[in-house]
Amino acid sequence: MSFLRAFKYRRKETVAHRLDPRSKFLLSIILMAISVVFTDIRVLLLLIAGQLILLFLAKSLREWASSLRGLIFFFIIIFVTQLLFGGTFFTGVVLSLRLLALSSSMSWFFLSSTPEDIGRAMSVAGFPIELTFSFIMAIRFIPVIYDEFQSIYDTQRSRGLELEKGGFRSKIRNLMPILIPLLVGTIRRTYEIADAMEVRAFGASPKRTTYKPLRLRGGDYLVCTASIILVAAAAYLKLLGVE
Amino acid sequence: MVEIAVENLYFRYPEALNYALRNISLRIGEGESVAILGENGAGKTTLAKNLNGLLKPTEGSVKIDGVDTRNLSVAKIARKIGFVNHNPEHQFFAEKVEDEVKFGLRNFGFSEEEVEKTVQEVLSVFGLDEYRYKNPFQLSGGEKKRLAIASIMAWRPEALIVDEPTIGMDYAQKLNIRKVLRSLVSEGRCVIVITHDVDFAASICRRAIILSRGEVIGDGGLRELLSDEELVEKASLRKPFLLELEEETGITGLEEDFDFISSILAEAFKKCRS
Repeated sequence: MSFLRAFKYRRKETVAHRLDPRSKFLLSIILMAISVVFTDIRVLLLLIAGQLILLFLAKSLREWASSLRGLIFFFIIIFVTQLLFGGTFFTGVVLSLRLLALSSSMSWFFLSSTPEDIGRAMSVAGFPIELTFSFIMAIRFIPVIYDEFQSIYDTQRSRGLELEKGGFRSKIRNLMPILIPLLVGTIRRTYEIADAMEVRAFGASPKRTTYKPLRLRGGDYLVCTASIILVAAAAYLKLLGVE
Repeated sequence: MVEIAVENLYFRYPEALNYALRNISLRIGEGESVAILGENGAGKTTLAKNLNGLLKPTEGSVKIDGVDTRNLSVAKIARKIGFVNHNPEHQFFAEKVEDEVKFGLRNFGFSEEEVEKTVQEVLSVFGLDEYRYKNPFQLSGGEKKRLAIASIMAWRPEALIVDEPTIGMDYAQKLNIRKVLRSLVSEGRCVIVITHDVDFAASICRRAIILSRGEVIGDGGLRELLSDEELVEKASLRKPFLLELEEETGITGLEEDFDFISSILAEAFKKCRS
């Protein structure tokens, strides 16, 4: 679960944090798209280098680095499945780099944008408030659910549960004492939140106002321009035959 | 019997800048009833989790019967030191009350015969036999807490740590939990209660460890410590009602008659209202 830390907003005073979430989202999506389109290792490495600069500017390299430990599990799965199903070591490296590039793009966006800002951006884009609010809540509750998971895990370990013992089937069975209380708690909280929202008239008025309207500034136009240049460069590389 | 020895314990959560516990040294032994008191965020639960090996010291050591907790698995420690979470729902997953009690026993390798016998005994001792086949989530708050304690006490650990036993409880439920914990103390078991409910602590424990901002600011007799106004204020606590009553009336040893006094007061309040 440690890789989730790379997607949790941290309040910091940086250029990236001050940017409008829409411009950051545009850049993140383009970086992700490029990492999916190309398999050339040089392009992927260049992309990751660029993302590291963005993370450095957002003073978030430490959080990103701490998430790598969690990603190792996924890298292992990639390599094992490649080797088992006819792939090569090289394709394993390419796919791992692609995963790293994808997660770094998302990480930069989520580390520097508050859930509220993301919600406002979604509202401006025309998403219905129910969907926007659900999305914000899902992001906000990741750390809460993680804490609850830890507390349940500790409680069951105090009752002699040893997750690391036994074969695959018994390990899965041993997860039940953790997952069931977590699921029950989450469902209960959902009902409580729904009640709390209803008593505060959520959805009563179709026209909603915003306390802090989003506004594109100079930096945002710069990011948007850079995004368009990146798309053009990617298209040019494709025309040159770079895979 | 179990002995917990804490030497110069420092603990810091991963990624935290400050220590949650600093320079803590104490010993808790056989048959002691200890209240760990302090305001919210003082480090009570963190200390408790260090005592039962869920957390390992950043510096210093915690030893259970002379063995460092770093060298023991949580399950091994749990066999000797039971831990009841503040939220009993964090441990319930079975369909029936009896299965909740069986869970720990099976983890510790009890035979099916012993499991059946123990479940019967434990449910009866904790007044839960009528709920044996009920879903744990359908019990009341007090019953859930009793079930949580019962499912730990089933394998008879030598010490029991109970985190915030009175949270969200009404008066009658508190009395029931108190009765359960007092009976464990009278059996000679080591009971450690983490709470900021000083009245509840005073009615069960002889010793208090008072924490403030991760440091022990008082360790000794509960009555003596909680009579120290300066200390009580520093820890954002208050003097227990029983001590105040003793000071006002000049009668000592009132905690022995806690139930009696409570019932008189409840009756008096009823009459005042009517």
